[in-house]
Amino acid sequence: MVDKQMQPLQSVLDALDAGLIVLDRGRRIVQWNAWMASASGHAAADVLGEPLDKVFPGVVAGRLNAAVASALDSGVSSLLTHALHPLLFPLKTRSGRRLLHDVTVFSVDTGTHPTCLVHISDVTMEVRRERYLRDRQNARYDAILASAPDVILTLDGEGVIRFANRAAVVHFGYSEQELIGSPAAMLFEPESHWADAWRRVLAEGKPQQPVELVAHRKDRSLSYFSLSASRWQDASHVFVTAILRDINERRAADAALRASEEQARGAAAALADLNLTLEQRVQERSAQLLKVEEALRQSHKMEAIGQLTGGIAHDFNNLLQGISGALNMVQKRVREGRIGEVDRFVKGALSSAERASALTHRLLAFSRRQPVDPRPIDMNQLIGTMEELLRRSIGEKIRMRVDEGLDLWLVRCDANQMENALLNLAINARDAMPDGGTLTIATSNERFDALQASIRDLEAGEYVRITISDSGVGMPPEVQARAFDPFYTTKPIGKGTGLGLSMIYGFVGQSHGSVRIESHVGKGAMIEICLPRFHGNLEPAERNDIGSVASHAGSNEVVLVVEDEDIVRLLVVEVLRDLGYRALEASDGPAGLRILQSPQRIDLLVTDIGLPELNGRQLADAARAKRPDLKVLFMTGYAESAASGDFLDKGMHIVSKPFTMENLAAKIREMIEFVQPR
Amino acid sequence: MKPGPTLVLDELELDALTELVNLGISQSAISLAEMVRDEVTLSVPNVALVSRDEAIRTLGEREAKNLVAVHQVFEGDITGRALLIFPEARSLELVRAVIGGSLSIEEIIELEQEALAETGNIILNGCLATMANQLHRSLKISLPEILHGEGKEFFNLAPPPDPGDVVMFIYINFAVRNSDIQGYIAMLLDMPSIAALKALLVEYISRVAGESPA
Repeated sequence: MVDKQMQPLQSVLDALDAGLIVLDRGRRIVQWNAWMASASGHAAADVLGEPLDKVFPGVVAGRLNAAVASALDSGVSSLLTHALHPLLFPLKTRSGRRLLHDVTVFSVDTGTHPTCLVHISDVTMEVRRERYLRDRQNARYDAILASAPDVILTLDGEGVIRFANRAAVVHFGYSEQELIGSPAAMLFEPESHWADAWRRVLAEGKPQQPVELVAHRKDRSLSYFSLSASRWQDASHVFVTAILRDINERRAADAALRASEEQARGAAAALADLNLTLEQRVQERSAQLLKVEEALRQSHKMEAIGQLTGGIAHDFNNLLQGISGALNMVQKRVREGRIGEVDRFVKGALSSAERASALTHRLLAFSRRQPVDPRPIDMNQLIGTMEELLRRSIGEKIRMRVDEGLDLWLVRCDANQMENALLNLAINARDAMPDGGTLTIATSNERFDALQASIRDLEAGEYVRITISDSGVGMPPEVQARAFDPFYTTKPIGKGTGLGLSMIYGFVGQSHGSVRIESHVGKGAMIEICLPRFHGNLEPAERNDIGSVASHAGSNEVVLVVEDEDIVRLLVVEVLRDLGYRALEASDGPAGLRILQSPQRIDLLVTDIGLPELNGRQLADAARAKRPDLKVLFMTGYAESAASGDFLDKGMHIVSKPFTMENLAAKIREMIEFVQPR
Repeated sequence: MKPGPTLVLDELELDALTELVNLGISQSAISLAEMVRDEVTLSVPNVALVSRDEAIRTLGEREAKNLVAVHQVFEGDITGRALLIFPEARSLELVRAVIGGSLSIEEIIELEQEALAETGNIILNGCLATMANQLHRSLKISLPEILHGEGKEFFNLAPPPDPGDVVMFIYINFAVRNSDIQGYIAMLLDMPSIAALKALLVEYISRVAGESPA
C-alpha cells in the first residue's frame, strides 16, 4: 500500500515522538506510525485498513467520533485532553507504564480524499513533572504550616474543616482525621461566639480584627485563642483560613492583673465601707458624746451651782441683811420721828433688794438650759453683768480686778457659754488660790500678725483678747498640756468633772477663737481666750447699775467695822452710831489691818469672816499680834463655818447673817461693856 | 470612510447571523453534553457587531481585569480569530462543572488549563463549524490556545489588527451542573471577511427564503 515515493515520508513519521493515525472517510486506518505500534502494541501491518474502532473497541465514540466527523466534514481541529479524557487510548510507555496522552484531531486535505489526522502526544512526563513540582511545593507549604506555632485551619464555605495543621492537632487533642470533615463550631464555646465570628468573616471577607474565642480541647479543658480569619475563593468555592493564636498566657496575665485590680477595688470598697462604718460609728459616738456632754455640762452646771450655793447664800444673807437692817432702821427712825433720815435707809434697802434680784436673775440664767445662740457681744458689758456672780463665786478671800480695754471691739459668741466659761475659769482660779489672791479679768483689742496668730492656731487678723489671771499655785507643764482634755482634772474625786476647760475649748473653737494657758508653778496662771472681732452692731442689752451706799463714822468707844459688803457695813456702822459708839470702817482685810496696826483706839473689831485677800480670822489674828486683848465680833453668812468650835478664841464672838439690828446692838454692847478678867 | 460596524449588516442580515450563532451554540451544547454526560445549556441572549475598541471597552466595563480566553484561528472564505472569554475567577468553576466528580482542588487546578482549552475548543468548534456548514463554506479551524490577560490584549494580537476590524460580540450563558457562568464569544473579523460574511448571509437568507413556502 505504501508506494516508494512515500518511503522517506514514512521514515519521518516513524521517527516522530508522537502517535500518528490517519483515517479515511470510512474511519479506516491509512497511516500508523512506529510510535503507535510501540505504545499500542499493534504493528502497523496488523492495523492498516482496519477501522479504528476495531483496533480500539469502544474508543471511537462520543467526543472522538464527533471530532473525527467534524474534521472530515468541516475541517475543524479538535483537542481531546487527558484532563477530560484520561487514558482515551489504552497506551503504554516503553517501560510498560500507563501512557498519559492528549489527542488532537485535524482534517488533512489531500485533495481528492479528505482524511483525518489523529495526533497523540505523550504528556506523561509533563504531568509527572507538574505533580512532582506540586508535591515539592506542597511539601514546603506543608512544612511551613506544620511548623507554625499557631493553629491553622482551612474551612470550606459550610465551616467544615478541610485542613488542619500540626499545631491544631497538638492544641485541640483531636487527630487530623477527627478534625478534617468536622464542623469547626464543635471546637468553640459558646458556639454562638464562633457563629458570630464566622458570619462576619463570610460577610466581610477581609482579614478581621482578631477575635478572642474560648475553645475546648478533646478532653473538654478550655483554651483561649485569638482568631484571625480571612475568606478566599477559588472558582466556585469559598474558603476561610483561620489562624488561632494561643493566648492562654496572655489571658492568665490579664486575669492576674484583673484579679489584682479587683482586689484593689475590693480593698478600696472595703475601706470605703469601713470609712462609712467608722463615720457612722463616729456619728453615733459623737451623738452619744454630745448627750453625755450635755448631761455632764448640766451636771457640771449643777455642781458649779452647788459650789456657788454657799457663796450665794452668803450674798443673799448679806443682801437680806441690808434690806432687813435698813427696814429696822426705817422703823426706828419713824418711831423716833426722824423722818428726814429714813430716805437713806429706804434707798439702801431698795438697792440691796435690787442686787438680790439681779443675783437671782443671773443664777436662774446660769442654771437654765440655754441653746447655743451666738450674738454680738461686748465683752466688757458681759463681764460687767457677771461681776457680781463672779465675786460671789470666788469668795471673799480673793480680790477680783477687772481691766476693761478701751473701745473694745465686739465679738460674736454664745453669751451663756461665755458666762459659763468665765465662771468656770473664775472657780478654777479660786481653787488655785486656796489662801486668797487676786483674780484679774482683762480685755483688750489685738491685731495678730501671722506669727502671733500661728502660736494660737488662728488666722492673722483682729481679735478680742480676754485673760483670766490668778496669783495662785500655777500649773506644771504636764498639767497645762492636758488641761483641755475632757475629764482631766487635778481636783479630788467629786470636786469637779474635769470638763470645764474642755468645754471652754470646744466653745471657743466653735466661735473660731482660741484658748491657751500660760502658767508657771508658783507664779499663777493666765488663761487667754481670743475671739475674732465681729464687725457689726450690738444688740441693745440692759445693764443694772447698782447704786453704792455711802459709809459713815461713829463716836465714843471706837469700833472698827471691816466688811466688804457696803450695805452691811453701812448698817453695822449705823447701829454703832445709834449705840453711841464711834465707828471706823474698812472694806477689806488689809485696810482693816492698817487701822489696827495704827495707834488708833479700838475697843471692838467687827469683821466679816469672808473677806478678799485677808479673811476675818486672819485679820483678827494679825490684829491681836499688836492688840492681844482686842475684842472681835465675827459676822458670817456661812453658818457651818461659824459652828466650828475651834474657830473662836477668847474675846471673840460670832453673829450669823442675817441678824436683826437689835441683836447686833445687844451683842456689841455686851462685848464692849464686858471687861475681860485678867 | 468605512461604514460603521452597525451599518455593515442590515437588520435582516443581523437576524440571520443571530440565527446561525444560535444554531452553532446549540451544536456546541450537544457536543459538550455528550462529553460531560449531563445536561448542558448554552444560550445566546444577544449578538452584536461592534468595533474593536468598543469590544475592549465593553469588556473593561463589564468584567474584572483578569480574563481568560480560549483562542482559535479560522481560515477560509472568512478569516479571523475566535475567542471564548471568561473572567479568570470563573475558569475553575467552569472546569469543575465540566469535569464534575469529586476531584480535589489541587487536582482541578492541575487539569485546569487543558480542560479549559478543550471546553473552549468544543464550544468554538461547534459554533464555527455549524455556521460554516450553514453557509455552505468550509473553514479550517486551528487548535485552541489559552490566553490570560485583559480584553485589549486579546484584541491586539499580532499581526497588528486593522482599525476597520469588526468584532462579532456574542454573549453566552453557560449552565451545567448547577453552575451558571456568563462569558463571551468574540469573533474578530477583518473587512474582507465581513464583506464575505455579508455576501454569505445574503446567500443564506435567499436560500432559506427560497426554501420557505412564501
